[in-house]
Amino acid sequence: MVVMTASALGARASGTARRASTVLVTLLGLLMLTFFIGRVMPLDPVLAVVGPDADHSTYQQVYLAMGLDKPLWTQFGLYLNDLLHGNFGNALLTGHPVLDDIRRVFPATLELATLAILFGVLIGLPLGVCAASNQGRLGDHVARVITLFGYSTPIFWLGMIGLLVFYAWLGWAGGAGRIDLGYDGLVPDVTGLLLIDTSLAGDWEAFASALRHILLPALILGLNSVAYISRMTRSFMLEQLSQEYIITARVKGLSRRQVVWGHAFRNILVQLLTVVALAYGSLLEGAVLIETVFAWPGFGQYLTSSLMLGDMNAVMGCVLVIGLIFVALNLISDALYKVFDPRTR
Amino acid sequence: MKTATCALPLRLLFAALALGPLTQAWAKTPADQLIVGMSLVNLFSLDPANAPGLDASGINANLYDTLVKRDQGDPEKHLPQLAERWDVSDNGRRVTFHLRQDVTFHSGNPLTATDVAWSLYRVMKLNYGLATTWKAYGYTRDNIQALIRATDLHTLVIDLPQGMDPLLVIDSLATSPSAVVVDRQLALAHEKNGDLGAAWLITHEAGSGPFVLSKWNANDVLVLTRFDRYWGGAAALKRVVMSNMTESQSLRLMLQRGDLDLAYGMAAPDVRALDGERGLQVQSLPRGTMYYVAMSMKQPEFAKREVREAVRSLIDYQGMDRQVMPYYGTLNQRPMQLGLAARLPDPGYRLDVAHARELLAQAGYPDGFSTTIRTLSEPPFIDIAARLQATLAQGGIKASIITGTGNQVYGAMRARNFEIIVARGAERYPHPYFSLRTFAYNPDNRDSAGLPNFQGWRASFFDPSLNGLIDQAGAERDTGKRLSLYHQAQARYDQQVGPILMLSQMTDTVVSAADIKGFTGDDAGATRYLGVHKQR
Repeated sequence: MVVMTASALGARASGTARRASTVLVTLLGLLMLTFFIGRVMPLDPVLAVVGPDADHSTYQQVYLAMGLDKPLWTQFGLYLNDLLHGNFGNALLTGHPVLDDIRRVFPATLELATLAILFGVLIGLPLGVCAASNQGRLGDHVARVITLFGYSTPIFWLGMIGLLVFYAWLGWAGGAGRIDLGYDGLVPDVTGLLLIDTSLAGDWEAFASALRHILLPALILGLNSVAYISRMTRSFMLEQLSQEYIITARVKGLSRRQVVWGHAFRNILVQLLTVVALAYGSLLEGAVLIETVFAWPGFGQYLTSSLMLGDMNAVMGCVLVIGLIFVALNLISDALYKVFDPRTR
Repeated sequence: MKTATCALPLRLLFAALALGPLTQAWAKTPADQLIVGMSLVNLFSLDPANAPGLDASGINANLYDTLVKRDQGDPEKHLPQLAERWDVSDNGRRVTFHLRQDVTFHSGNPLTATDVAWSLYRVMKLNYGLATTWKAYGYTRDNIQALIRATDLHTLVIDLPQGMDPLLVIDSLATSPSAVVVDRQLALAHEKNGDLGAAWLITHEAGSGPFVLSKWNANDVLVLTRFDRYWGGAAALKRVVMSNMTESQSLRLMLQRGDLDLAYGMAAPDVRALDGERGLQVQSLPRGTMYYVAMSMKQPEFAKREVREAVRSLIDYQGMDRQVMPYYGTLNQRPMQLGLAARLPDPGYRLDVAHARELLAQAGYPDGFSTTIRTLSEPPFIDIAARLQATLAQGGIKASIITGTGNQVYGAMRARNFEIIVARGAERYPHPYFSLRTFAYNPDNRDSAGLPNFQGWRASFFDPSLNGLIDQAGAERDTGKRLSLYHQAQARYDQQVGPILMLSQMTDTVVSAADIKGFTGDDAGATRYLGVHKQR
């Protein structure tokens, strides 16, 4: 049984408070920066509402209604005030509250990014280990070619070629979109994650359709993570494999497999957590290009379209969400550090 | 040992490849649904008072009804829709519409003349861009309720505030996206802070058209479901699913695989590749919109007539038509759409560098000058701008290209802050009066007038005589005299070397599966899917 002293409790509370204040300051800074950059961008949100042919009186009416006549600091203050009351404002693009929009588009990206990171981890980790344990030999060269391909191939091009080969020629994959369009709107929207919603509805044809549609973009998106994760794994593993304890273990008669996976790999888990968390965070921001090629109605497309319109309510909402994603991933990886590395407890 | 560490990724790779064939299925769209791929990125609102884009028109045409519709695209002939018939008073200042009595909205509410009058009042009260159509006739938010009113449940009286040809108003009632009839009771049931249901109608509908809006996720998908009690008979298709697809090659692959029935807005190389392919059909739809090169007469160079004429001679119209514009547009050098009786034949402008150099020398620019061309960073705009840049250089004019989004490019034009612009615009439907008003009319050239709805004002072109001719044409009821006035106005614009030089009239190309029947494109993208069916 662990008994915490008052001073330990106090230290923990002050640590939590310090961390919370850091998060708040970071998010506030992020919002402020985005807000002021948004205001100096040469985009006119009023035009998006009234259309290019509106007359001056219409333009002025909407300009005033949007509060754009007020000083910038006042506008920012009003925005923060609304935010504190849970009001992110309405998006110009959709007419819906920004939070509702994010709730709608985020699951599409979450589903895609999760499959992509799974692919990245399942392929990238073993590939990195394989490359490190075969340094300078064939396995290492093969891994290098794969990672080079993953890093350097434009994802847009890869998406098009993937569609051409696996969808148009071979018919293995579904085409653009999250599901065959004939099913669109027919599956009850419970979680927004189509693989789960179709399963909950027991509609296995729709599930198969959703699976066919998600596999290809997830694999292509995951390829970049494969490259990143495998290179980092290789580098961490090489460092470990050159340590004296590895030689000692081998001298003591442990098999190479036991040494690589049981000792060296276990010791890099903490570092890998950060790598995977960062890769996952980038994927959750939305992959605009892959979402464009595959007509994937996700977070990246929503953010980009909003940005092109100068729809700052939506942009600020998205930036806040991205900030929160990274904060959450950091917290999760910090918690997992303690599981994998007793020294951090 | 080495094999052991590398075996897992290889096994996973084989497993992934093996999964492919298990999921193989040849796609085919459902027989009772139309699956459409198109860009929905410019679809911000479905509110008829504030939905000016072509995409919104195409959708609202299926959700709502108008009083009348054009006959075969002729702006002077109209057919009944919600109005069974109409009478024009002898002095031309009053039009009385007699409405059908069997029309109900999707909500079940009966459609009455009060709904029609209220819908138009709502447009003026909210005062978004589409209100300019009605302001041009002299309607205001203060006078419209007195001038457009229901005299009984099924009779609507429209009085014209000023001496205008009533055919113009009737045509606007047929073609303006704001002329559709909104269910007053339903909209007011969702009113907030006196907005006449505006916030709600952005994402919902209150129409009586052949389809009901059953789902719209912006930038994703929009689903229309058949309205079984439509007064004109139920549509053949149960659903129309429109998916947001901005990547032309994805559209092409999906059409070829049979996952799409119909695609709008494909890039010219993809349309060319599909043209003639078995199982697909390509249909070109002329639009009222024009591609043009505009110069700002606020710039000292372009204020000189000789310079404008030189630029007019430094455009390779025919070369662009052959090499850039196939599937995008058809050569048209008049500020009026092809096929209209009021339109004069093309003036036959062509690239003439020697003539342009002479004119530039006369204007005091023997060595040319430097300028900028603003345009959208997408085809065909960027291709037109690049060719223009090359031919201007032949005449000694050094132009640099500034690309941007629609917001940035048209924003600069609205602010009269540009030199040359390559853009697209004009009334959606071909009409001699509205086209001339858009391109050549400018009632007040001062910056403070704030009239960006007139492209003539944006380009700082001001010719009171031309304004007078256009005004007269708009009020003239005698067909022969009206035609003559339109001809005079075009000749005058030509003679004055107006700064907006027409290049091409937009065509929109639709590619569809060969089994799609009954699809007849509309001049302004307001195609109805009422009669579309699949022949399998």
